[in-house]
Amino acid sequence: MATLPNDDIYQLVREPIDMTALARNVRAPEDGAVVTFDGFVRNQSHNRATLYLDYEAYESMALAKMREIGAQLHEKYRIHRVAMVHRLGRLQIGETSVFIAVSAPHRAAAFDACRFAIDTLKRTVPIWKKEYFADGAVWADGELPPAPGATPRAKPAS
Amino acid sequence: MPLVPSRNARYNSPMPPVSQTIRVKVLFFGRLKELTGHPEDFAEFADVATTIEQLFALYSARHPELSKYRSSVVASRNQEFAAWDTPLRAGDEVAFLPPVSGG
Repeated sequence: MATLPNDDIYQLVREPIDMTALARNVRAPEDGAVVTFDGFVRNQSHNRATLYLDYEAYESMALAKMREIGAQLHEKYRIHRVAMVHRLGRLQIGETSVFIAVSAPHRAAAFDACRFAIDTLKRTVPIWKKEYFADGAVWADGELPPAPGATPRAKPAS
Repeated sequence: MPLVPSRNARYNSPMPPVSQTIRVKVLFFGRLKELTGHPEDFAEFADVATTIEQLFALYSARHPELSKYRSSVVASRNQEFAAWDTPLRAGDEVAFLPPVSGG
């Protein structure tokens, strides 16, 4: 896998996410734009009032997948730095669950990269949320990650 | 297929090595964890070409409700998404992952 710039940040945390610090962290004098995505807990789901959410992750794999997304961003877009942080555990309405910041010399690459990052995270990073309502709890409908198909038969060693 | 899950592996002191036995770590997440009642387990089986699919079948036999989720589960082997026909090796970490819902 491609190496990532040392000043990128990929984290799973259990405390509130410090968005200001992360956005500041990706800024550098050679950049002209920072695009951020702040995903936070909605107060309802399918017209039921949400009380709170519980997030869990397959942590080692989730971090590896987040770093993989970062490597793709640097490969696909002319960007400078990435910060990508997902919070786990119990989150109340309005609290930030995921935050992404991307800096770039020019805005278009930063917008595109940030959009690609959150869309890909939601499809491929093994994190799950359970939604709690006044009358029960459900695991959120998720997305099926693109898994490899059947393994081709290995060729006999020649 | 001589598949034997070791229910006690987590609680007992290390067992004496058994020849020709493969041991893998198995992880369950989300609703699968609730359904099986444990986030992680160890499975042991004879050294044959056992696949991820067969491993899932082993747990489905123990927890019949699991089979309902087969079509909406993806598997990973050593933190990489893996095809169901992937053969297992000693020391592998296999996880069964429901549809992801981060963000």
